[in-house]
Amino acid sequence: MGPTLVVGSGPALFVIGPDTARAVGPFPLDPDLRRAATRFEELGPADVPARLRVALESVPQGSRLLASPPRLARTIAESSRRPVDTPTLEELRRARASIPLTDPVVERRFFLELGHLRLERALRAPEEVLITLAREEERVERAVGREARAAESFVAVPDSPLDRHLVSWGRARGALGDLEDALRHTLEEEAQRLVPNLSAVVGPRTAARLVAVAGGIGALARMPSARIQLLGSRRRPSPDRGPRFGILYRADRLADVPIGRRGAYARSLAALAAIAVRADASTHRDISAALVARRDRRVETLRRSRR
Amino acid sequence: MRPGRAFRPWEGSPRLLEVARNERRELWTEAVGDPPPVYGERWTNVGDRRYRLFEPGRSKLAAAVVRGWAGDLPAPGERWLYLGAATGTTASHVADLVGPDGRVYAVERSVRPFARLLALSERWPNLRPILGDARDPLAYSALVPPVDGVYADVAQADQLDIVVKNAELLLTGDGARLLIALKTASMGRHRSATGHRESAEEDLAETAALVPSVPLEPFHKGHFMVGGRWGRSARLPVRESVRPTMPRGRRPGRRAR
Repeated sequence: MGPTLVVGSGPALFVIGPDTARAVGPFPLDPDLRRAATRFEELGPADVPARLRVALESVPQGSRLLASPPRLARTIAESSRRPVDTPTLEELRRARASIPLTDPVVERRFFLELGHLRLERALRAPEEVLITLAREEERVERAVGREARAAESFVAVPDSPLDRHLVSWGRARGALGDLEDALRHTLEEEAQRLVPNLSAVVGPRTAARLVAVAGGIGALARMPSARIQLLGSRRRPSPDRGPRFGILYRADRLADVPIGRRGAYARSLAALAAIAVRADASTHRDISAALVARRDRRVETLRRSRR
Repeated sequence: MRPGRAFRPWEGSPRLLEVARNERRELWTEAVGDPPPVYGERWTNVGDRRYRLFEPGRSKLAAAVVRGWAGDLPAPGERWLYLGAATGTTASHVADLVGPDGRVYAVERSVRPFARLLALSERWPNLRPILGDARDPLAYSALVPPVDGVYADVAQADQLDIVVKNAELLLTGDGARLLIALKTASMGRHRSATGHRESAEEDLAETAALVPSVPLEPFHKGHFMVGGRWGRSARLPVRESVRPTMPRGRRPGRRAR
């Protein structure tokens, strides 16, 4: 007698074997496709369809029970309280070939539900929230700057419709400014919560932007400091004179350094930032006081040095 | 439709159309979804059919066709697995090629591009988006039925391993199609672009019958289209002759730096 194999196929499960090569099923995860998508993601023992559980009880104890993907195997093992292996590639391929295709309408709706579910979960992670905030803040900042520049070169003739336009425009700019302030406040709070050391060294906004451009805290922590220094720069590195700053150009205390020494400061700051973000990513210890002291000492040295 | 424009279906993939227009040749795909454009591409109507311009500068698949790709293209009714779909620029055209009865299972790992791919899938009826890592095909094997072809555009150092892993698990079997947009710049500096292509061909030849690969220059620097049919002794398609269809008198591609 061959093995019994449980395989997932979209919103349903199928059983192949032990005696037949034909797939038995479908055993839908849930009649409602949104709930089916949730069950597909979580797949705990409670998500195994009752009918399937009954069907599996009739599989003799001595025979092999297989399931794929591995997570399904663990779940079935838990719900049926017996060992479940994963099939070999060949067994799985043969089983998959015998499963009927899911109805296109059902399949499509299931994929869309699952896509939204996964997207939402991925974006809910705190660091993704920080990345989204950093991008939004940058966008709103650009909008504020653009409107302010446009307002400078706008001349309204008194007692004309332009005058009225100017008033409502000013109100809109004020609202945009308020939005920027609120956004910045939220962003700084989030940055100080998620990357406290990095925020202390380069400032919370710059810290958030570094994380956003790197694609995550872990990704930033794995970068060498030379890469962090140039993160977000648009010019290309070249042997004679490459860029010296990227996002770090907006870092705290850069303005306190004489112009000719800002490249040197960016280099030192990137080194400190690399240490800071590694602490934020792995040990979660607060080493900000020591790093800030080193940073400030460096600023003083550079201020005194001549170029 | 303006006079002097004749849409000629491509051999083996009738939803791909070639238009000869003066000295220039253009590629179009018959849209399965509705406007607006997916990424700002041109649309046109011929009778009650809608076509989207398939530009070699935007899509590596179009570049391969223009450079004389002799292998299979996605054809109506087929199911394809698309690895590295990003926001769905090329994936939408592959979906066009397989038509309303075909399916494209598009895998993308990055969250933000996936958000756009998902929005596209809402209005592209045969596109099935999957947020997942192409390195772990088992994780989405429960979502993808056996497929007739794999199109890969993953730009990773181990891109060939990724493709092979997916192919051996998810393809219908010998004779299924393989299309790999090989980005040699992602494969390390220890070999030249051609060196990478040759070693990739050598590795792939153990599990697949390959058609001659084509360089995607000047549209995509350092890229090659590599592929053929799964199975060492699979029979390859016979093409009488491959017409090189380089458009003349036009600088290709955007973002030429």
